Amino acid sequence: MVQIVVSSARAGGLAEWVLMELQGEIEARYSTGLAGNLLGDLHYTTEGTPVLIVGHHILYGKIIHLEKPFAVLVKHTPGNQDCDELGREIGTRYLVTALIKDKILFKTRPKPIITNVPKKV
Amino acid sequence: MKRTREEVDATLQIAKLNAAELLPAVHCLGFGPGASGAAAGDFCLLELEPTLCQQLEDGHSLVIRGDKDEQAVLCSKDKTYDLKIADTSNMLLFIPGCKTPDQLKKEDSHCNIIHTEYTTEDLLDQIQASEEEIMTQLQVLNACEIGGYWRILEFDYEMKLLNHVTQLVDSESWSFSKVPLNTCLQELGPLEPEEMIEHCLKCYGKKYVDEGEVYFELDADKICRATAQMLLQNAVKFNLAEFQEVWQQSVPEGMITSLDQLKGLALVDRHSRPEIISLLKVDDLPEDNQERFNSLFSLREKWTEEDIAPYIQDLCGEKQTIGALLTKYSRSSMQNGVKVYNSRRPIS
Repeated sequence: MVQIVVSSARAGGLAEWVLMELQGEIEARYSTGLAGNLLGDLHYTTEGTPVLIVGHHILYGKIIHLEKPFAVLVKHTPGNQDCDELGREIGTRYLVTALIKDKILFKTRPKPIITNVPKKV
Repeated sequence: MKRTREEVDATLQIAKLNAAELLPAVHCLGFGPGASGAAAGDFCLLELEPTLCQQLEDGHSLVIRGDKDEQAVLCSKDKTYDLKIADTSNMLLFIPGCKTPDQLKKEDSHCNIIHTEYTTEDLLDQIQASEEEIMTQLQVLNACEIGGYWRILEFDYEMKLLNHVTQLVDSESWSFSKVPLNTCLQELGPLEPEEMIEHCLKCYGKKYVDEGEVYFELDADKICRATAQMLLQNAVKFNLAEFQEVWQQSVPEGMITSLDQLKGLALVDRHSRPEIISLLKVDDLPEDNQERFNSLFSLREKWTEEDIAPYIQDLCGEKQTIGALLTKYSRSSMQNGVKVYNSRRPIS
């Protein structure tokens, strides 16, 4: 029987993150990858609509409060020294790093921002 | 490389967004150092019943149990739940420290910019997300990937790349069917990243090898079509005759433009005087059948089959042909000896 424990990473309350859901894929322009790069600016209208500016595009989305929240789990595979109070080896665990109770969903097509106006036809 | 308020405001201006309609706080999102995909397998999301979530918040643990041949289950102190795995083709991003509009409105915060910056190491060791408004970095993890989005984002950039390539072809007097990859990379490398040049050639041509060298055969139809899109997308409509002239002049010398290349991209109105052409991309139209037809009929009252076919082609499935769709969603009549289709009911 396999048992994997899912536990809170620390006592005293879990952090709350927000999930952002996009259709499609974001690729880095250069082969150096995404790490360390800016994605874009996230604004909210006074009515609470999320607006994301990414590159040359604007996306309008909506905030959804999740009826069933998500827990963000990080897998922790033990090293040799990981033992519990009784000196038994601990198996693989999932640590709950944060909870997600809200998500921002963008599902409409991005609108292009036109910056260059070509010569008049 | 943190963005300043000035830069954010400049972006808002370019995007033609009215700052008065927005909340003052902005989140400048960035990718954390672990965002290049290697860490993707380390995270997963567990969807919880509210009661289970409460138990975790109270500090209790849950246990996943199962024999090798059994379905796994999730156990709390007193209940057992079935565990199911689900996939999504959407991209999911985690934003630690992000505020919802409700939270922003409640706080009377003077802090105007929320930067997100957070390292993978911090997460795994410390496991304490900072609760302050400052400084938590976005962690990006792909749940699943689908292609195609990149192209939509970068059309203007693709056109820029394409122009570099076609100008080079012209100055070197190469044939369109034999464009050498290496020379392109050599000559254009100083201007644009090599992967992008190659990507452009792949989009607009077909790769082949001849005597050990890689060449591309450029696709004239695709290039003419992209050029037309670039011309049409910045105006509502064009005089057809003028457009055709400019369009032909804008494509690489030797390529022939033809309106057939613009199916599903542009619409020609032959009844107006002068005849006009405007951008109409099938991708921008509603996906639902009835809504698609409503939107087409509100753009134009009567359509010939030839004109409407490119705009409903993608709705055809195994069960439905263009003819069947037209029968179901439209009514036909004869006009000047030609069969035309219009809406079944009045469009407001």
